[in-house]
Amino acid sequence: MLEPLLGSTNAERVLIFIYSRDEGYVREIARFFNSDPDSIQKQLKRLESGGVLVSKTAGKTRLYSFNPRYPFLKELMMLLEKALQFYTDEEREKLLMNRRRPRRGGKPYEID
Amino acid sequence: MKSINKITSLELAAFIQDHLKAKGIDVILSGGTCVTFYSNNTYVSMDLDLIDISFTKKRDIREAMREIGFIEEGRYFVHPETKFFVEFPPGPLAVGEEPVRKINEIKQSTGILRIISPTDCVKDRLAGYYHWKDLQCLEQAVLVATHTKINLKEVETWSKKEGMEDKFEDFIDKLSNKEL
Repeated sequence: MLEPLLGSTNAERVLIFIYSRDEGYVREIARFFNSDPDSIQKQLKRLESGGVLVSKTAGKTRLYSFNPRYPFLKELMMLLEKALQFYTDEEREKLLMNRRRPRRGGKPYEID
Repeated sequence: MKSINKITSLELAAFIQDHLKAKGIDVILSGGTCVTFYSNNTYVSMDLDLIDISFTKKRDIREAMREIGFIEEGRYFVHPETKFFVEFPPGPLAVGEEPVRKINEIKQSTGILRIISPTDCVKDRLAGYYHWKDLQCLEQAVLVATHTKINLKEVETWSKKEGMEDKFEDFIDKLSNKEL
């Protein structure tokens, strides 16, 4: 949907996923969209080096979220909100179903 | 010119800015080194944040920096003869949602230092406090405001626009305690 603007389907996937769930990591996003983890990682890194996203590590996982200091954040959020309205009900529901249940102790994180 | 291992962070910034400007690359000093300048060296940052406002390709910056002995290592550019390191954070030059318009030009022995204003420096540090809860950034904002004249009203208006009136009060409290 935003691919003509962003120049990449995976860039849209990354942004719409993080917009819907507040944060995300490579394998989670790649699995959700059934896309190539390397391509997702490339977009995450590109958006991070451009100041749109920031990342932090949680165990062995690098979690990405929006950079609250990105000057166009408010406008980007509005654009993503609008784009999300054009997704099917099913897609939107899946995206917004943010089930961040507690992890069992000792269960390893996936390595990105 | 003094050798690179003897110059201050501000002289180094001016030297790099002049070198890049000659190549059509316009960079403005932002971040912690501005605190060094506006706090009369009370706080010293090792990290020079230069924001490229001419939207140059990274490759061209890398090449221009290589000419003066800086090598890219991860996010930073380092030089074997100085402990200071240089970063080119992504633009645009902004504090929060607001573009930075006022640039101060200050002559150094190595070139012209182009730096954001003390008021924007305070906003820049406060943005770190507001969004990252970084208390060091709050301290730095207070340092600048106690050493240099700033437009407090403008900082207040900006803070309101950022939706951070409550946190602006933290800054005012700290500033009042410092000034007592």
